[in-house]
Amino acid sequence: MPAPLISVRDIGKSFEGTHALSGVDLDIAPGTIHALVGENGAGKSTLGKILAGVYGPDAGTIRLDSREVSFQSPRDALAHGITIVAQEIALVGTRSVIENIYLGSEVHTGPFVRTKRLRRLFDELVADTGIDVPGDALVSGLSIADQQKVEILRALARNADVIVMDEPTARLATHEAEALMSIFDRLRGRGKTIIFVSHFLEEVLSVSDTVTVLRDGKIVDGGKATEFTPGSLIAAMIGRSLESAFPPKAAISQGQPVLSVAALSRAGAFENVSLDVDAGEIVVITGLVGSGRSEVLRSIYGLEPPTSGAITYKGEPAQYRHPRQAIAAGMALIPESRKTEGLFVGFSLVSNVSLPHLPRFSRAGFVRARAAHRSATEQMAAVGVKARSATVEAGLLSGGNQQKILFARSFMADIALLLADEPTRGVDVAAKRQIYDLLVQQAANGTGVLLVSSEMEEVIGLAHKVVVMRQGRVVGQLRGSDIRESAIAELAFGQTTQA
Amino acid sequence: MTLTETENTTLVAPAVHRNVWRSSLTRYGIVWAAAALFVILCLTTPGFFGVPNLRNLLDQQAAVLIVAAPLTLTLIAGQFDVSLSAVYITAPLVGLQVEAATHSIALALAAGVLAGLVCGAFNAFLVVTCRINSFISTLASSYVVAGIGYVVSDRAILTPSDENFRDLAATRILGLTSSTWMAVIVVAVFWIALSSTRYGRYVYATGANGDAARLSGIRTGWIVASTFLLTASAAAFAGLLNASKSMSAQASDDFSFVFGALAAVVVGGTSIAGGAGTVWRTVAGALFIAMMNNGFNLNQVDPIFQRIILGLVILAAVGFDAFSRARRRS
Repeated sequence: MPAPLISVRDIGKSFEGTHALSGVDLDIAPGTIHALVGENGAGKSTLGKILAGVYGPDAGTIRLDSREVSFQSPRDALAHGITIVAQEIALVGTRSVIENIYLGSEVHTGPFVRTKRLRRLFDELVADTGIDVPGDALVSGLSIADQQKVEILRALARNADVIVMDEPTARLATHEAEALMSIFDRLRGRGKTIIFVSHFLEEVLSVSDTVTVLRDGKIVDGGKATEFTPGSLIAAMIGRSLESAFPPKAAISQGQPVLSVAALSRAGAFENVSLDVDAGEIVVITGLVGSGRSEVLRSIYGLEPPTSGAITYKGEPAQYRHPRQAIAAGMALIPESRKTEGLFVGFSLVSNVSLPHLPRFSRAGFVRARAAHRSATEQMAAVGVKARSATVEAGLLSGGNQQKILFARSFMADIALLLADEPTRGVDVAAKRQIYDLLVQQAANGTGVLLVSSEMEEVIGLAHKVVVMRQGRVVGQLRGSDIRESAIAELAFGQTTQA
Repeated sequence: MTLTETENTTLVAPAVHRNVWRSSLTRYGIVWAAAALFVILCLTTPGFFGVPNLRNLLDQQAAVLIVAAPLTLTLIAGQFDVSLSAVYITAPLVGLQVEAATHSIALALAAGVLAGLVCGAFNAFLVVTCRINSFISTLASSYVVAGIGYVVSDRAILTPSDENFRDLAATRILGLTSSTWMAVIVVAVFWIALSSTRYGRYVYATGANGDAARLSGIRTGWIVASTFLLTASAAAFAGLLNASKSMSAQASDDFSFVFGALAAVVVGGTSIAGGAGTVWRTVAGALFIAMMNNGFNLNQVDPIFQRIILGLVILAAVGFDAFSRARRRS
């Protein structure tokens, strides 16, 4: 084994009295992809940010090429050849790709930027790395995946040898993530070192040389990536073995159809979508981001009414023009974006949970606050919300608990159909399992569950039936043992003509 | 409490304990400020604490309070209404023209308030249906409505033909004027509506997160529209009271009325970002400003300086709001 490029000893870091990291020792070999994995809050991002100079450690030493270094800022780290591509993309959207890549390091003569020379440098960089982005395009017009490429090129243009990638694939579709992995591979081939912070375990194992597992701010496991499986990584991350990441699928007897959608279309969003959800059944709509999955849910719920087609709900036609009709009929929607469409972050937990149900808890327009409070706290306890009190602001909770607040809100009424759009996005592994349990329990009680999900494991682990969409159309439906990763991917990417 | 305690208990709890004092200080800050000002004026300013002065002070604030109470709802719903001055001026012109034609005070009142409702409906149409930013649309409608005022009155000073029109605002009941009592009633109605009814919860939800409110089944468009309707009809009613007090109305009346109402809401601490605020805060804000001005007058402070100081007080209130929100976020 070559001498480590970066050698970290006994690093500690606290935020407001909480240990984010303590006693961390880590060696990173040059020219490798080194993954840092762990649950949300395990300290993996903090460690990455310390290596890139974003945070200064409270204790411990960092050696680079056997020399002790202490970075005062990200700029300082970059001078030593280390940089970070942060989770939040920080580019100037209204300017071109080339301008962004060389922002702050323009080649200039006096006050004038030498545009042609920059273009030549850019072309060389693209040829050198094989990362292809149109240089003149405005950054705001690029996809997230392309913006990330711009960030990487920006790092490389500054001669970084070590790139910390903080959750780079969190917002990418599967094929975009795969493309990024091959870029990682190429960069490694050119001698770059990549520190890959992620909680997508299969991705991590597919590309990394070495894996380090963090839990509660400490390193709990590590070694060659080939020695791990997704299962053993999960066990190391959460500190107990999960018999499986998913609850067992309940067999469904031929249930009554709860929802039946026939030839549903909405101009510009989706076309000719037909699907059925039976009582007690979990149906998952999957496909690439932008394939019209969320829009189907929103149409059923009355948020974006369809332009043609028929929805039958509990045996009756149900063309809702507003969500309140859907709620009154016993539907609930858990939206894709918790923060912008789900929660009132400044409101108490009780207010968040009870809001759609106030008509039931009011007399002559006056809210029976005590009854609503009691019912809401019962629901929160039932779904396992962990909070200091029922009156704290929703914005103070962790992602998993915030998501459970939305479940409590949905379950406060007797629902016959639960619509949930990416219900486990941005929640940690343990909370994911709890959310899966809630979905399965709800289905077992006879509720029809219609999910939208991009996570392959989730689709396979939960669905009785999978509906695959591509470009606004349903391209296939899979049941039982037909639900396999390869079959779903083929449909989603359009590699077969089965329809 | 049936919720499970967790390790983040220890994370949050100490901070909360430490802040009990400070949070009640910030939460009721405007009430403390108004109470302190009252005590200071009682002690330092002869003529402040006395039935005639305090009765006048309340009487003068009646119109502002009648409008500021529903305007609090508009701001909480995340909107702005700057057209209220125009409504305040134009509605009584409509009312007095109807009174001149019919010699009925009741019809005059009805016509004036109806004119206000029409203005509110126009604002609601612009904001909800046409989706124009409420600051811009009410600025525009303010010019339209003010112009209509000139048309309605034919640029004349209108006076009511019936002397009894004066009784609308000036009747004494239990020592206070009828306009003061009307302000009390209006404030009480909006206070209760906002704090205890489903409608009030929906107003908060609409302003805090409109998308989430819609998903929760709230007809956010109607909620926003209702705040414009209520505020404009309240402004029309306040204008009628003002006409009753002065027994005249003209299209060139003082156009700064809306600023007084907005200042009361904002000094009270209702966030211009929407989603938070209360009517009692607005009342405290209105009384604070009124006592401040009254104190200045009694102490013969130059009106020019009064304006400068009021401006600084508004800035302090808004700055405090921005500061406390930034702190909460970090």
